[in-house]
Amino acid sequence: MNTISKNNRNLLYPALAWFFIFFILPLGIIFIYSFTTTYLFYGHSVSLTLNNFLIIFQKKHYLIILGRSLKISIITTIFSIIFSYPIAYFLAKKTKFDRILIIIIMIPFWINYLIRTFAWKLLLSENGVLNQILLTTGIIQEPVKILYTQTAVILGLIYTYTPMMVLPLYATILKIDSSLIEAARDLGASRTGAFFDVTFKLSLTGIFAGTLLVFIPALGSFAIPAILGGTDSVMIGNIIENQLLRVGDWNFGSAFTLALAGLSIALILFYSRIFGLESIYRNREF
Amino acid sequence: MQSKKPVFLTIYTIIFFIYIFAPIILIFIFAFNKGEGYNFPLQGFTWKWFEEFFKDATAVKSIRNSLIIALISATISTILGTALTLGLVKAAIKFKTALLTFLLLPVLMPSLTIGISALVFFRTINIPLGIPVVILSHVSISMSYVFLIMMGRIEGITLEIQEAAVDLGATWFQSIKDIIFPVLLPAVLAGWLFSFMISWNEFIATYFLIGTEVTLPIYIFSQLRFGISPKVNVISVLITLFTFLVIAVLFSTRNIYSRFKRI
Repeated sequence: MNTISKNNRNLLYPALAWFFIFFILPLGIIFIYSFTTTYLFYGHSVSLTLNNFLIIFQKKHYLIILGRSLKISIITTIFSIIFSYPIAYFLAKKTKFDRILIIIIMIPFWINYLIRTFAWKLLLSENGVLNQILLTTGIIQEPVKILYTQTAVILGLIYTYTPMMVLPLYATILKIDSSLIEAARDLGASRTGAFFDVTFKLSLTGIFAGTLLVFIPALGSFAIPAILGGTDSVMIGNIIENQLLRVGDWNFGSAFTLALAGLSIALILFYSRIFGLESIYRNREF
Repeated sequence: MQSKKPVFLTIYTIIFFIYIFAPIILIFIFAFNKGEGYNFPLQGFTWKWFEEFFKDATAVKSIRNSLIIALISATISTILGTALTLGLVKAAIKFKTALLTFLLLPVLMPSLTIGISALVFFRTINIPLGIPVVILSHVSISMSYVFLIMMGRIEGITLEIQEAAVDLGATWFQSIKDIIFPVLLPAVLAGWLFSFMISWNEFIATYFLIGTEVTLPIYIFSQLRFGISPKVNVISVLITLFTFLVIAVLFSTRNIYSRFKRI
């Protein structure tokens, strides 16, 4: 090894140190809190416990919220796949303007998502635009209550995270060799048969990558349920906020956070094992 | 393949783009509407909400704080992230794949977990919450994004030029300053803008770490929680215009870069 690459390699240490102190250590602290009984500062005497995790499974309240968060995130992910597949396919295979259109799709993504969520609040409220349209066209007689329900939360999440699904899907479909589809057609497959046997199967990588990018932030969302949701749409993020900032039970809050972090890290590692993590961002446009 | 015109797909695409932009257009419309309520018919054009917004001292302060945080954290994370990529891209070290995966975790994990763990960490070691702590945490998030961008753009050729320079008598420091840095400048600029936008938009981690201070997303959230006011429309319009500007700059750096590559 020569001096250039040795010197170059030394460049990575400041960032690694930063990463360790401000990212890994805090996760370690959360880990300690989850398994102990009280605060680690002010010289409290601390003992080990599994109670913080057991409470999650003992109290029906928390199990319901856990299940609901999973349900909301899964519905969000499924709809974002359904909504973005035709777009990704069109961009990758049917148009020459795909690059500029991808840039346009990403514009809302760069506008703060609180603002986009606010827009949905305007759309969905009882005398909001959506109800007005439905009333004047005569589709409904009474205004429907969507705001402050789970439906509103799911609509907001789908709107916010669908671009994250379009990108990896577009990148994988783009790479599918059109001659494969033609070969399938020549060998007697119908248009739909060729689509499902070739295009769809080869785009599964993109679907998984997109699922990672939609499911994880949806599961950890906190602002969208707080703004668009009501009492029936409290999610994990809201529980964690409540425990840490209002109730002040850091050990229990940490256990919930650790569960969320652990689940997302497990998903990420599982994905990187199978597909390689860089495939998510290899063709990323911004 | 292009034989049949994809009528259905084209219509779907148009609807999709309307779906994406309609909410934002709606915000724009109501920012200039005279009435307090958010429904049609509109009641005439006004600048009233803009005046009210700029009279709101908290709002103006939140913009200033957000700018300070984004400028500082983008600068630190660009320096660290660029150095990290330079060091890592050619290095032969054990567990490199595992290390790469770990370095990407801040991008993929929910920012809620990052914010909470930072909150618990800083409170435990007795560091007061506030703007400095927010900057520290933003850097550890956006550094990973810089790393991602730079990984895509540092190509083998860059380091070969560096070797050539050193063979011709340059010191290592000169080779970084005169060769690597100018070649990477467009990517560095893109990374900086990217981190700036990450920090500028970051809400969840900030919410837990900001203490009693206020940033723009925090301000918007507090406005949204306690009812809605057209002032939020105003800030949305301003942010959207600002975002268009940043995107335009980001893409012009990309064009400079691709021209560079062709030479």
